[in-house]
Amino acid sequence: MNTTFPRLLQQHASQRPGFAALREKEYGIWQTLNWADLFIMVGQMTHVFARDGMKRGDHVIVVGANRPRLSAAMLAVQTLGAIPVPLYQDAVGTEYVFPINNAEVRFAVVENQEQVDKLQEIQADCPTLTRIYYDNPRGLRNYPAQALCSLDTLLQEGAALAVKSPQFVDQQIKAAQADDVAAMFFTSGTTGNAKGVVHTHRSLLDRAKAGADFDKLTSREEVLAYLPPAWIGQNIFSYAQWLCCGYVVNCPESTETVTTDLKEIGPTYYFAPPRVFEGLLTQVMIRMEDASAPKRGIFNYFMALARKVGPSRMDGESIGAWNSLMYGLGNLLVYGPLRNNLGMSRVRVAYTAGEAIGPDLFSFYRSIGINLKQLYGSTETAVFVCLQPDNQAYADTVGVPCDGVEIKVAENGEILVKSAGLLKGYYKNPEATAEVLSADGWYKTNDAGFIDSRGHLKIIDRVKDVGRIQGGANDGAMFAPKYVENKLKFFPFIKEAVAYGDGRDRVCVMVNIDFDAVGNWAERRNLPYAGYTDLAQKPEVYQLMLECVEKVNADLSVDTLLAGSQISRFLVLHKELDADDGELTRTNKVRRGFIAEKYAVLVHALYEGMQQQFIETAVKFEDGRSGSVSATLTLSDAKVFNAVERAA
Amino acid sequence: MSKQIGDVILNVQNISLSFGGVKALSDISFDVREHEIRAIIGPNGAGKSSMLNCINGVYTPQQGSITFRGQTFSHMDSHQVAVMGVARTFQNLALFKGMSVLDNIMTGRNLRMKSNLLLQSIRFGPAQREEFEHRRKVEEIIDFLEIQAYRKTPVGQLPYGLQKRVDLGRALALEPQVLLLDEPMAGMNVEEKQDMCRFILDVNDEFGTTVVLIEHDMGVVMDISDRVVVLDYGKKIGDGTPDEVRNNPEVISAYLGTGH
Amino acid sequence: MGFFLETLLGGLMAGMLYSLVALGFVLIFKASGVFNFAQGAMVLFAALAMARFSEWLNASGLGNLWLVNLIAFAMAAGVMFCVAWVIERLVLRQLVNQEGTTLLMATLGITYFLEGLGQSLFGSDIYKIDIGMPKEPVMAFESTFPGGILINQEDLIAALIAACLVALLSLFFQKTSTGRALRAVADDHQAAQSIGIPLNRIWVIVWCVAGVVALVAGMIWAANSVCNFLWPQWLCVLCQW
Repeated sequence: MNTTFPRLLQQHASQRPGFAALREKEYGIWQTLNWADLFIMVGQMTHVFARDGMKRGDHVIVVGANRPRLSAAMLAVQTLGAIPVPLYQDAVGTEYVFPINNAEVRFAVVENQEQVDKLQEIQADCPTLTRIYYDNPRGLRNYPAQALCSLDTLLQEGAALAVKSPQFVDQQIKAAQADDVAAMFFTSGTTGNAKGVVHTHRSLLDRAKAGADFDKLTSREEVLAYLPPAWIGQNIFSYAQWLCCGYVVNCPESTETVTTDLKEIGPTYYFAPPRVFEGLLTQVMIRMEDASAPKRGIFNYFMALARKVGPSRMDGESIGAWNSLMYGLGNLLVYGPLRNNLGMSRVRVAYTAGEAIGPDLFSFYRSIGINLKQLYGSTETAVFVCLQPDNQAYADTVGVPCDGVEIKVAENGEILVKSAGLLKGYYKNPEATAEVLSADGWYKTNDAGFIDSRGHLKIIDRVKDVGRIQGGANDGAMFAPKYVENKLKFFPFIKEAVAYGDGRDRVCVMVNIDFDAVGNWAERRNLPYAGYTDLAQKPEVYQLMLECVEKVNADLSVDTLLAGSQISRFLVLHKELDADDGELTRTNKVRRGFIAEKYAVLVHALYEGMQQQFIETAVKFEDGRSGSVSATLTLSDAKVFNAVERAA
Repeated sequence: MSKQIGDVILNVQNISLSFGGVKALSDISFDVREHEIRAIIGPNGAGKSSMLNCINGVYTPQQGSITFRGQTFSHMDSHQVAVMGVARTFQNLALFKGMSVLDNIMTGRNLRMKSNLLLQSIRFGPAQREEFEHRRKVEEIIDFLEIQAYRKTPVGQLPYGLQKRVDLGRALALEPQVLLLDEPMAGMNVEEKQDMCRFILDVNDEFGTTVVLIEHDMGVVMDISDRVVVLDYGKKIGDGTPDEVRNNPEVISAYLGTGH
Repeated sequence: MGFFLETLLGGLMAGMLYSLVALGFVLIFKASGVFNFAQGAMVLFAALAMARFSEWLNASGLGNLWLVNLIAFAMAAGVMFCVAWVIERLVLRQLVNQEGTTLLMATLGITYFLEGLGQSLFGSDIYKIDIGMPKEPVMAFESTFPGGILINQEDLIAALIAACLVALLSLFFQKTSTGRALRAVADDHQAAQSIGIPLNRIWVIVWCVAGVVALVAGMIWAANSVCNFLWPQWLCVLCQW
């Protein structure tokens, strides 16, 4: 697409001024902002930003949850030709130092007092940051005014300036080109410092349009913007595609109200990472166990039916007259109310990505009539590389290459992508850019995978993580840690898992239990517990984990490529792995190297065959203070199955 | 942050309260200035809640009087006290268990409703418009206390920390001049206490509400209060700024026992 | 089978009649925590008032049945409001925060007082109320069961009125601010007072509403049979179950 974000905004404002653009829930009611008013707001902000000295090419950080005014601010920044850089609102202040200094950021637009406090804390380390604009004034009345400015005041001043020079905004919009830099996203990166991924209007809009065309999105879609703006997916779903199609983006009231807001809005186009879907399902299952016997009976009967015929039905295949009738009845009694309860009654298309999703979980949603599909992409590719078509939503693939994308698989199994949606480069990091972008435009995804017989892409693991077992019974076998970890995480009882085995003689795993699911399981067996650490150490829970591990082993034993990755020993961690402690990235991916160092004593104990190991870990509380959690962990052996010989 | 602390708004004079043979309060006198945060501290059983109950009209002291904005009373009932602009929270919560959070806080708006009870019985005309205005005010309070997710939840189902917030919300709905808080942070963890402190400070700062609070957490008391009254066995043993009180030998021995 | 259903329906509808009286109990108990022993007496008092008023109105030449009943109802309601106000002033206000049993005894006293007052004011004969309810029974479901099921039209109308009343009161309690204040008072007197809800005024309102409910109950009972001062005792006993 040969246009820019501000130009799209201008088009919507002139062609469909009265249509809803953004909604926000305030004081219990949904307040709507239409395109015309949004354009005016953006114009006012543009005037003030320009007056305050923002220039073309400047980087401006944006920190906060999704709010109409923050989206407007991003558009205003882009109108001036400056570059918005959204950062994670949950991060600790010190995590902002690198991005701010790397991009020499002078301006920041933030949501509230919490963010202002964080920035002021690191002010000393960030000499370039001179001006902070904030949206919600609560608590900021008595802060010294020099560096701060409220968006309320800003809009008033902007209105006055707009009257004086009405052509200004138009001129700015005209001056922008599709190949100008539109935004920068910092990838949290599982190793090392963050890298700024630079995208142009063209790359983001190209992918946005490709996705919109693939799923035939219209201007009447309703989307709930609840994921952090710093994540590229959020930007594509609620910003790029929003401007491309002109649909309505709804901002929830707060993180706690997301589930109720979901039900109230009833989005038609929805994205959530697999753990959200898992969490929703766990809630449903837990509540179902509390229901009366007749209700449970009906639920189980219809869910079995759904499991049998649901996915085929969704794929458009015929399921027979009797089944259709019963499914229709099920729709009335179970599936419809269930979809309603999850807030997904109107979902036409739902995507999940970011990590592998358990096949049971995936088919559960499809079986009750929710069109859940998988996609594949990353920050560097502006998300859409592969998408699953409506009637080809398989649990174990991530889809077919979509419009404008070419894929090839290198010799070492790495997937290479060529598309108009690729990043322009890593900011101020030509070496890193050269590492991933070849001269003829192929991007190295760092993922290992292959294209299966159906033309769908299957992901195995990160290329550098795929290792080999050295020594022992399975010497030379391929070891894909993420593959193993995912299989474990498919069980609702396991929240997180870390697998080691590259260069070792066997595979050992550390798991985190899912507190909700295991807590519920324990309560039903009248097993008392006093919190996470206590629950995680119970012998009954260990037995439960052992069963899960051995099921995974059984599964792996029939896999041609990965039979050697079976788990020999495991332990249950005493504390949840947390992004605040550096163990996970902000998108909840495990940082295996960091964990191996921090828990070195445990890894050592596992491989040395020890039965028990004491560990003390430092933790960081939400307010930044440190503490420690300690326990003596039991280390368990697991049964390994012989690789099943497959007929040639 | 400069705060203008005004003149004396509440003056407690020579209050003595007994229950049968037990003397709960003996000759207590202290004053509270407008816009300040006054803490009442003391070991368990010192009579702090009883003091608050006297101010609130729940108990009638045998001796002494209370002066509020120049008017002196020896006996008031809770209803009149509320009308005068004094709202309170309760140590063990006294929420209306069967109602939702929203309804609980809406009951607090009762005093501010101008149309009489009869008109309110049928939601018609002026009563209906008023209902909307009050709903808006209550939503502001809900927003302030960050409990939007629980608007429609029956309060009985909420965890303790949130119930305490609703209690505070209900008291705030009266738009009081003086807020009496009876151990608002009891049973809370560190993060919840921080949130509660923030709310109390914001109320005091934004609306100028005078706050009288009973609190056990010394850190909180020293941090947020302007002046402190110390009670022990029904008697006043300290009165002054947090620093003055901290160094008072009588206060130290009351908390730590003599011989230290 | 037909007979079973007939008896079942008849029983249910008779139950509705009793529920009308019980409604008054529930109201007062919910709003003030007082177990109102005098509810039966209130039903009697209200019914007597209405019976006598409609008689006087008829005697004074007002012909139209509906108008007579309407005005009599309004007058009787007015009487009940006075009763409520007097009870609150003279009895409840003096006994705030007393124990439940004390208040119960007080209501017992109110029972005897109302009975006596009723008789002296309105006379102790047997009176009728005619509100134009159809007396003929109706046969329903004649095709399904031989002979059909006998349904008493009066009972049916009474049941409908009771249902409407319950619905109305539910709406009142849930949706209006007075209703909310009433619920607050029922939950916790102390807290309600501390946020400025005027207890006394609330109690007057509650007893007034209970009085009107008692009036409706009495009116329907009387229309069903007759109005007699022997009611209160056995009505109270039955309703306590």
